Amino acid sequence: MTTQTETPLDAMPNEDLQRLVEFAQLVTAGRDAMSDEIVTRLAGAMSEGLNLLDRLTRNEGLMHLLKVLDRQDTQYLLIALSDAIHAASQEIPAAPPATGGLGCMLRVARDPGTQEGLRLLSVFGKHLSHSMREQHRRGG
Amino acid sequence: MSDSKIVDARDTFCPGPLMELITHMKRSNVGDTLELLSTDEGSGADVPEWVNKVGHEIISNEKIDGVWHIKIRKAK
Amino acid sequence: MRILVVGGGTGGTIVANNLARRLSAEIRARKVRLTMLSASDKHMYQPGLLYVAFGQMTPDQLYRDQASLLEGSIDFHVDPVEQFHLDQNKVITKSGKTYEYDILVMATGSRIVPEEIPGMAEGAETFYTEASAVKMFKRLREIQEGTVAVVVGVPHKCPIAPVELVFGLHDYFKARGIRDKIKIKYHYPIGRIHTIKEVAIWAEPEFKRMGIEYETLFNVSEVDVENKVVRSEEGTETPYEMLIAIPPHRGMEVIEQNNLGEGGWIPTDRFKLTMNGHDNVYVVGDTTNLPVSKTGSAAHFEAEVVSENIASIIKIGTPVRDYDGKVYCFIETGHDSATYAMFNYQNPPDLKPPSKPMHWFKMAYNQMYWTSVRGLL
Repeated sequence: MTTQTETPLDAMPNEDLQRLVEFAQLVTAGRDAMSDEIVTRLAGAMSEGLNLLDRLTRNEGLMHLLKVLDRQDTQYLLIALSDAIHAASQEIPAAPPATGGLGCMLRVARDPGTQEGLRLLSVFGKHLSHSMREQHRRGG
Repeated sequence: MSDSKIVDARDTFCPGPLMELITHMKRSNVGDTLELLSTDEGSGADVPEWVNKVGHEIISNEKIDGVWHIKIRKAK
Repeated sequence: MRILVVGGGTGGTIVANNLARRLSAEIRARKVRLTMLSASDKHMYQPGLLYVAFGQMTPDQLYRDQASLLEGSIDFHVDPVEQFHLDQNKVITKSGKTYEYDILVMATGSRIVPEEIPGMAEGAETFYTEASAVKMFKRLREIQEGTVAVVVGVPHKCPIAPVELVFGLHDYFKARGIRDKIKIKYHYPIGRIHTIKEVAIWAEPEFKRMGIEYETLFNVSEVDVENKVVRSEEGTETPYEMLIAIPPHRGMEVIEQNNLGEGGWIPTDRFKLTMNGHDNVYVVGDTTNLPVSKTGSAAHFEAEVVSENIASIIKIGTPVRDYDGKVYCFIETGHDSATYAMFNYQNPPDLKPPSKPMHWFKMAYNQMYWTSVRGLL
């Protein structure tokens, strides 16, 4: 019983036949190259990969974190944080070391940059404190 | 004389009815009777072959509704 | 609802992990508590023992930490049970603790008892424990000539082991270049070379081709260690240079001590997998008295059914399916080839011709096993 897709070998164009032969040689070469050790290591890696994937996808914290990271505003904030750290890392080494004493302290306190920074810390501290009380109230 | 102990090995291929029988024979006492139930075609011949070679007794061997009922007494 | 799993082997681990996944919401809501008790903190991949016996695996590769294989929600203790009080739904462990349960899963497995055959423990090599497998490999390395005799006790776990063993021996001695100096003689207790008819039919010409001698209807009665002769109930005997035995087995001692089953085999319903007379006790793996092969495969499929049923009983009040007797076993046929036997209560095995890809599947499975006991495969 033949189907429409079956063709007698001698009616096949030489190119197709050549390609078939090459493919068969490739498969044989692959089979010959495979060893117990290769199969064992491949299967081992795949199994460990599966275990890890299972753990990760069932880790609620990680999944939640991924969702949060996906938000544009989160990304912008992370970039802003990174930029700020970068700028600070340039500025601090260039500034002369503090001389100590009340005078230097007053000089630094007068600096608008410092006041901005203190304000940020204060606002940030206020919100973090509020957040912590909320979490505690919810049973965290 | 004690009652027959039923060894129900119907519909099993591995380790199979005869191996199940051997397992139960080992735990039985001399004089005990076991009745093996098997749906394996070959049991009718395989089981008596083993029983006789090892030295126990076949009491009865019949096929009822496609199931072999083979009664064996542990003789040693 | 307290679920207690006793035994941390293949069956027990799969039941526990499957239940932990299916009942994760109930466990989080503290409606269900899942506990496992095991005699060991390690989990052994037992099929690896044959590889150890031929020097293809080292013993450390057989083990993983049991805790690393279990879901975090499982309360796991290395504290073997010593007393079962099924009428009071409780067990007492070695450390003296009492664990009460609503549902119990027995998965204690089986052990070898070579001492049942006079002389076997002293005179025969075996590969059914780590120590004995290593000892057997060392002897295989040293032997120069003579008869290597293989005998089989009843019952034993892994029914295909005798055949895999002799094929392995043939390949091993060939590789050592001394196959012509070694006579391999195989002895089997029933009237053909293997209990599965299809395996016996396929293997016989292979035995002839490999020059493996065999004697059927050979039930080991004793091993004469001094004269190096193994004798049968039937009155025949075989002298040997090296004897390899697959010893007879019993269920764990604790099962016998607690009168839970003759020989340590617990009377189990072949479909529901509940213990006869105790509907809240399930039994999986080697320790059942079922006429089902004592294999990791059977334990795996039984565990799937039991965990599904326990979960459905908790969620909807009834079990949902029966065990159909399914077993799936690889058969290594030597020479980097393998085939497999799959069967259940209704369908006999139908062996395919051995092939290299099947051998690779077995190699891959040696690694995938750890993923499957975690409940992922």
